[in-house]
Amino acid sequence: MAFILSNIVSKTCVKSLEDKLLALSISASGTQIRERHIMNPPPRLRNPTWFTKKHRVVHNDEITTDNQEFVKEVVQDKYSNKDESPLLSEIAANAAEWQPTFKRTGVIARKIGIYPIWMKDGTKMTTTLLQVLDNHVIKYYTPEEYENSQPNKTRVMKKKGCLLLGAEGTDPSLLTKEYCGLFKNSGVIPKKFLARFFVSPDAALPPGTPINALHFQVGNFVDVRGKTIDRGFQGVMKRHGFKGMPASHGVTKTHRRGGNIGGGGEKARVWPGTKMPGHMGNRYRVLKGLKIWRINTKYNVLYVSGQNVPGDTNSIVTIYDTILPLRKPSNPVPFPTYLNTDEIHEEDLYDDDVHQFCDPTIEYNET
Amino acid sequence: MNSKITLSTSKMYSLFVRSRLNKCTNKRFLGNLQSESTRQNELFDLEKKRQREEIGRIDKIEVEVQCKSESKTYVMNKLISTPYDCARHLNETIMNKTAVALINGETLWHMHKPLPDSCKLEFLDYKVSQPGQVNKAFWRTCSFLLGAVASNAFKDKVDVQLHSFPIPNVKSGSFVYDIQLSLDNWVPTSSELRVLSMEMIKFCQQAHPIECLDVTADFALVLFKENPHKTMQIPDIAANNNGKVTLFRAGPNVDISKGPMIANTNQLGRTTVTNVIKLDTDIKGSPVYRFQGVALPSSIVLNHFAYGLLEERAKNLNSARIPGSQDVTTEDNSFMAQATN
Repeated sequence: MAFILSNIVSKTCVKSLEDKLLALSISASGTQIRERHIMNPPPRLRNPTWFTKKHRVVHNDEITTDNQEFVKEVVQDKYSNKDESPLLSEIAANAAEWQPTFKRTGVIARKIGIYPIWMKDGTKMTTTLLQVLDNHVIKYYTPEEYENSQPNKTRVMKKKGCLLLGAEGTDPSLLTKEYCGLFKNSGVIPKKFLARFFVSPDAALPPGTPINALHFQVGNFVDVRGKTIDRGFQGVMKRHGFKGMPASHGVTKTHRRGGNIGGGGEKARVWPGTKMPGHMGNRYRVLKGLKIWRINTKYNVLYVSGQNVPGDTNSIVTIYDTILPLRKPSNPVPFPTYLNTDEIHEEDLYDDDVHQFCDPTIEYNET
Repeated sequence: MNSKITLSTSKMYSLFVRSRLNKCTNKRFLGNLQSESTRQNELFDLEKKRQREEIGRIDKIEVEVQCKSESKTYVMNKLISTPYDCARHLNETIMNKTAVALINGETLWHMHKPLPDSCKLEFLDYKVSQPGQVNKAFWRTCSFLLGAVASNAFKDKVDVQLHSFPIPNVKSGSFVYDIQLSLDNWVPTSSELRVLSMEMIKFCQQAHPIECLDVTADFALVLFKENPHKTMQIPDIAANNNGKVTLFRAGPNVDISKGPMIANTNQLGRTTVTNVIKLDTDIKGSPVYRFQGVALPSSIVLNHFAYGLLEERAKNLNSARIPGSQDVTTEDNSFMAQATN
């Protein structure tokens, strides 16, 4: 370390740079502390590197309209042709073959609403529509590079790498310079949303790789993580589904109350975890094992089962391959991601059990 | 060599000034950059004091200051009061934000230069409808400050000789200072450029008022006797300017320029030293480097993306004329090259 520093110092000719480097080398040596003044030192902040200030104060920039258009043009030119097929073919050539133990990346999507579908036997099913946004790989941290924000209590045997994905490109002038710097090496337009995905080192992708809805296949199962609707401070009936108490028959002032919260005798106290009123929602929750029934390749929409995907309509969710052991895919999936973008697909891909509206009407016998 | 100069100027300077001059010139043999700067500053102060004392009886002039729609008339001191003094009477915002003054609607006047006669005065800030002249003054000041920063930023073992800077041309995308460095093939790293930018920003934040002084060629020669390039340029500059040389000072740094410049260094906002490029010239001695930068006034805010485009552009070699050993390149005549380009 000292050798490198001195080398730099001898090479550089700007005065204050030398001063700074010297100061750095001095501080690196550390000072001796005889007594332990703080019994429990505060935990070290290990925020991921992409936790930076994102939005800047938007001033009224004094740019002429011509120049505003020029800046827009530059943004377009700089980030327009991002379908680098040589890159994709290179990944495809070097990719390892899929194994059930491998963990692939997930995607960032937007929950856009709820629709019914019908099975071929006539049963109705509610599906949630998740639109996969313009996902691009921003950065890959190898297992050694990635420092967990919470130190692992136990030793991890097969450490995963971390893939940083961004979605929904936006005007870089609305973001801070610091935040835009995250996207510098990927050649991708700065994105509104970032998400990390832990992947097997074999499933790593180089920065700039696009990911679309065909990363997933019809019939496979996914887990969806989203931020639940913020319902504020709620009572036990809404929060925990308590029955409440009767509306009449002499009941006064306790129609929606929780009732007794503790027993007697040896249990004469309120047990930890007792269901009581409190804040509800606005926390990340994962809904696991949702089947993909239909994929729209034109608009990159996944139709997954259930109407209870966490979050509001138009909120951002992340989709992963399921971790439920019995619903993991047995057949090969696109690995490390779907790369053959030139291939032409039908607009809609359906699960075998789903009734397609172009087919004849479902007929069944009245019982 | 030094005695010759002082003898030829003996008529002009009082005995006191001369003795101080000799004292200062002896200091030169310490060979230190710091002492050279101190010597220049002392001389500058002495000359300023001498010019102030030479006025003698104080005459009054009437200055009609036009501010927005109204106009006010102030009675000021001839050759003592500056446009800045008038602005101080008027209001603090105008005082701080004015870049240059406009006299009688035609002549641009440095804010800290004494007014010679009764006149009409206007204050130009960075948001006037026709900002061409203000832009030039701003760009010129940036060049001057870049030279000032570069002359202090290097280690003592590097010999830094300021050469000149061309006439400001905002359209070229960068302000420029050509500087001779005793370094062969120096290509600055991005961190070195960042340090230079930081130095410039720090220097500008110290809010040095930029002073102005008209001096004779002889005095200028004494002031810049350590700098061979300036010494060569001074007779030519003086010949084109009635035997006078205009000096500017910001903090401890003195330089020659035609002017006008802006009032204070704190009017510089976003500032970047973008590139240092070695020039292909026939000037004797060490190679000459072109220092380039880009800056915006502090009153103009711009998002980082648009400013990043300006920074990128300012990295290309500026098209201003490259100084040679045969022709004397100064700020005054370099625009001829610009016109022909």
